[in-house]
Amino acid sequence: MREVYIVGIGITSFGRLEYPLVEIASYPSVVALQDAGLDTVDHLFVANMGGGRINHQTALSSAVLDHLSLWPAGSETIENGPASGSSAVKLGFQAIASGMCETVLVAGAERMSEVNQLDATDFVATLTHPMAEQIYGITLPALAGMFTRLYMEKYGVTRRHLAMVAVKNHGNAMDNFFAHVHTRVTLEGILDDRDAETNNPVIADPLHFFDMCPVSDGGAAVVLASKEVAKKLGKPMIRIAGVGQATDTHAVHERPDPTELTAVRLAAKRAFEMAKIEPKDVNVAELHDAFTILEIAESEEVGFFKKGEGHLALERGETQITGKIPINPSGGLKAKGHPVGATGVAQVHEIVLQLRGQAEKRQVKDPKIGFTCNFGGFGNNVVCTVIKKEE
Amino acid sequence: MIRDILGYKCRKCGSISYPNHYRCPKCHHTEWRKMDVEFDTLPLPKNGTLLTYTHLYALPPDYEQVFLTLGIVELENGNRLTGQLKIEKPKIGMKVKGKVEVVRKTDYDKYYGIVFYES
Repeated sequence: MREVYIVGIGITSFGRLEYPLVEIASYPSVVALQDAGLDTVDHLFVANMGGGRINHQTALSSAVLDHLSLWPAGSETIENGPASGSSAVKLGFQAIASGMCETVLVAGAERMSEVNQLDATDFVATLTHPMAEQIYGITLPALAGMFTRLYMEKYGVTRRHLAMVAVKNHGNAMDNFFAHVHTRVTLEGILDDRDAETNNPVIADPLHFFDMCPVSDGGAAVVLASKEVAKKLGKPMIRIAGVGQATDTHAVHERPDPTELTAVRLAAKRAFEMAKIEPKDVNVAELHDAFTILEIAESEEVGFFKKGEGHLALERGETQITGKIPINPSGGLKAKGHPVGATGVAQVHEIVLQLRGQAEKRQVKDPKIGFTCNFGGFGNNVVCTVIKKEE
Repeated sequence: MIRDILGYKCRKCGSISYPNHYRCPKCHHTEWRKMDVEFDTLPLPKNGTLLTYTHLYALPPDYEQVFLTLGIVELENGNRLTGQLKIEKPKIGMKVKGKVEVVRKTDYDKYYGIVFYES
């Protein structure tokens, strides 16, 4: 397998964007190409989940490729639910590792604000099992709510721990210009104050409003290249050292232990094995905190902490930017936002920024190895990557 | 008319699964007949134990109510179902009994599924 490097990155602001989906994918692509110093690429992958359904735009990658005048490069649209972004990065990695391509542009984009919040949640809920879950009115928040209740019962996680994740990630997003939410959140405001129930109403108990990621528009892009090309471009040598993917049952109730995210554990294990490192070697991580509980659960499943001890590490401040293993310095999905198709690419974008030392006020001190976990479905299709800075 | 939720029993290893899979989740057995897979179907028991639940306030747009109570129940035979709860104060570990009722109505269709009550 050939080595694959990330030579260019680009991102849009997350939030409500008054641009067509094609432009949301094209803008970060141009930024990434300029960053890499490339005029064209061999192949384009565009990650997107809802284009056909909510934006009336099918075959998105052909539209983006045309918008960027990249003919005659090959292109595909990648749809893998909320893990579309990392799936596209994985496929770009494979295209170069296999020797088929020298350069690949991977873009991710989503424009959810085309429909209202309820329709957006309903759209995401189409990824649940149609017969066993969807007909009951199950949405992603409902699955997360049921998961959280069990987790609390089993491991002693409290609402305070969940709120601490929200406070941390919203705090990090204050220093991220591109984040969706720029509001400082405090424990008093969402938990202790007498107005807390108004500020932070219940959505799927025990989960409240501030335990959920926002519905965002946004795009992100990365340019991947072979070692030969990367050396010529003279950018910092940042390598995709490992990629892992794993799947689990579609209906959540079929899993033997509903508090275990088996696919997360296996995907991370595979990524670490390919990179020949251990979880403890990671200096900065972007985890898929679509719900606050997921940051805690994933930090355990990927191996940063023992099972059932993620919330204790959070209490000790180990996941802060200044901590032992900083998690979600970008603000995570919780505060940076979650444009579903773009999320996986945006996670990789943040890690590259951190490894290059360009993350400004939210810069983690001198990281060498970064990690991303992109969680598709409710944990039924998970992609993890290990990204390494080479001297 | 009594309605049931049907489990799918593998003709080779005998394990029962819900929802159905094209291949048995335990032994990967497939039995082909008339271009279609045939499992033996059998009504699942309706009584069981509540494993977890939530009150969902962010509902899909076709529901005309404030919240829905949803839960996962382990049935007497060990199979599990996701369903709606009509229980005022649900508790993990409580015994529940199920009934098949309309669980969702859209403009043109109604969908039947399991609703659990306190037993």
